[in-house]
Amino acid sequence: MSLVVIGLSIGMLLFLLAAGLTIIFGMLGVVNFAHGALYMLGAYVAYQIVQWTNNFWLALLFGPCLVALVGGLIERFTLRPLYGRDHAYQLLVTFACVLVIEEAVRLVWGVNFRAMNAPPSLAGTTEVFGSIVTDYRLFIIAFGIALSAGLFFAIEKTRIGMIVRAASSNSIMASCLGIDVVRLRTVVFMVGTALAAVGGAVAGPLLPLKLGMGSTIIIDCFVVIIIGGLGNIKGAIIGALVIGMVRALGQQFASDWINMLTYLLLIVTLAVRPEGLFNRRGREA
Amino acid sequence: MRTALIAALALACSGIGLNSANSQTPTAFTIGGVVPLSGAYALLGTSMQKGAEIAIEERAKVLRVPIKAIWEDTETKPQTSVQKASKLLAGGVSILFGDGSSGQTLAIMPLAQQRKIPLLVTTSAADQITGANRNRYTFRTSSLAFKETRMAIEYVKKAGLKSVYGLAVDQPVGRDTWNMMKAALKELGIQSVGEDFAPIGSQDYSIIIDKIGKSGADGVFVVTTGSDTITFLKQAGQVKLNSRVPIFGTGFLDDDTAAAVGPDVVGVKTVARYHFSYDTPANKRFVEAYRKKFNEWPNAYAGHAYDGLIWFFDVVEKVGSWDVEKWVAEFEKSSHPNSVFGPAQMRACDHQAQGVGLWAEAAKGSAPYPELLLKVTSTFPPDHIYPACPN
Repeated sequence: MSLVVIGLSIGMLLFLLAAGLTIIFGMLGVVNFAHGALYMLGAYVAYQIVQWTNNFWLALLFGPCLVALVGGLIERFTLRPLYGRDHAYQLLVTFACVLVIEEAVRLVWGVNFRAMNAPPSLAGTTEVFGSIVTDYRLFIIAFGIALSAGLFFAIEKTRIGMIVRAASSNSIMASCLGIDVVRLRTVVFMVGTALAAVGGAVAGPLLPLKLGMGSTIIIDCFVVIIIGGLGNIKGAIIGALVIGMVRALGQQFASDWINMLTYLLLIVTLAVRPEGLFNRRGREA
Repeated sequence: MRTALIAALALACSGIGLNSANSQTPTAFTIGGVVPLSGAYALLGTSMQKGAEIAIEERAKVLRVPIKAIWEDTETKPQTSVQKASKLLAGGVSILFGDGSSGQTLAIMPLAQQRKIPLLVTTSAADQITGANRNRYTFRTSSLAFKETRMAIEYVKKAGLKSVYGLAVDQPVGRDTWNMMKAALKELGIQSVGEDFAPIGSQDYSIIIDKIGKSGADGVFVVTTGSDTITFLKQAGQVKLNSRVPIFGTGFLDDDTAAAVGPDVVGVKTVARYHFSYDTPANKRFVEAYRKKFNEWPNAYAGHAYDGLIWFFDVVEKVGSWDVEKWVAEFEKSSHPNSVFGPAQMRACDHQAQGVGLWAEAAKGSAPYPELLLKVTSTFPPDHIYPACPN
């Protein structure tokens, strides 16, 4: 059972990271290569807020808001001119954003590792089925569940969610019906960016903050959303949980096979159901 | 007449050319630095650069010409490392200095051999550099993985551990180091109760930490580097693993990584590749100059870069000429009595420098020292910690 709990915490952290990526792709059709860099920026901004205020919760609340503003600028000045053009241009411009963000982080925070700790209220441990688990990991599980429920509800059950889904399905029709699609895209990108930053802030107490920390995590994010289905929140949750459990089982029984198992799962999914586990197949003409 | 005039002119020009070639000595002693200044190993490369700058400023001249350095950023990529090293060698550097990671150093070693230019290695620890892949022009003044593993084995003996768990990065150096430790444990009658090889860049060690905690081991031997070390120690510290199963390793921890882990790092034991607190006159002088220039404490990469270059400058001055073959011949039999570590000796058989080994424990510091730092707790004489000379 402790394996399940730890697998769940690994999965939930992956979901926090992948949620923003899948929302941006699902709603805007943009594969955001800068997602890992934005996650890194979120971690560093959270670190800085903690340095100033000594309060992790303020960092979790305001850090993503600040990074979302950066996301808004990225969407407005780099992606907006490229909607409707080949995906290659979007890939190139988001890759360029990666380089700019990395350099900016290097200039502001330098090359040294930075450390962020869990808040004192979550610094303890709990025994779960014979294993010692940190309270912070239990928080990640609860936070991930709450966030995924909130996202799912917002997208599927609210008017705003309906507008977003409509605009992503047929932006021209939505525009004709009076929806400001241009502004909507910016808002969706900012939400996706904020989610990346939330992932960074939450991961901070578990991982070292270092330049390039986003480049390793972006691969995991893509694996999760490809397995779950691009643009599908439910798929991202299940994909993240599946990968989390594979990682946990891999560590328990065969730690040197973890990567192989993860990518084998990806290959099998692409071979059997390339649209992802929760997306519908597209119709062929 | 015209033909004779042309022939005379040609003869005169060749004479001028010969004279020019004979009288041409370089106007500077150029160090070609191939180090990672960006990417995952940027900290390592920038530290090497800083240590080298102190050495250059201290000596200023070699063979009566100024010392200058040309730095090329390898971006922590082996293919870029090879390109940049080739560029520097084509530009006519006097010595190649670098690289950071062992993989990159191994990649550029053949270039130094081809061009017959000395390559000074002051960071990379792979045994192959002065082992299977050694060449005439490559010299290493820093330590190697074998030495560090031997020191860890000596620690296991001294500490009286009865059982050890192994955690290593899933790379050749990780597996080789753990295999060497396992073989030694078997000889000593000490149990190895478990092993895990985690992929490089692992984000989560919680299950492995749980296994270590439940294994009944007296100690866990860790072979990881950089961010993997920090991730493991942070997550282990959060469940207070070190208080139940003491953690020790080979050069996986320094002041920078200790600071990144936080207070949970206290008590972790490691080989210290260098430490600013080590009491030698050369080290005191270096640390003072480094703090004055950079306002920070030097780390192992800076310390070794400084020490290695000073040693090489001494060798070149002793030779007194620009004959590279003489530099190589002199370097391979040289000693460095005033290194930052105390006396050091270059081994002619493999071009590996030999000196004392430092064993340390992470501890809390007090001003003006960093809040968390390594404290050197014991030293190992060089006798038993270096590999036998290859045939």
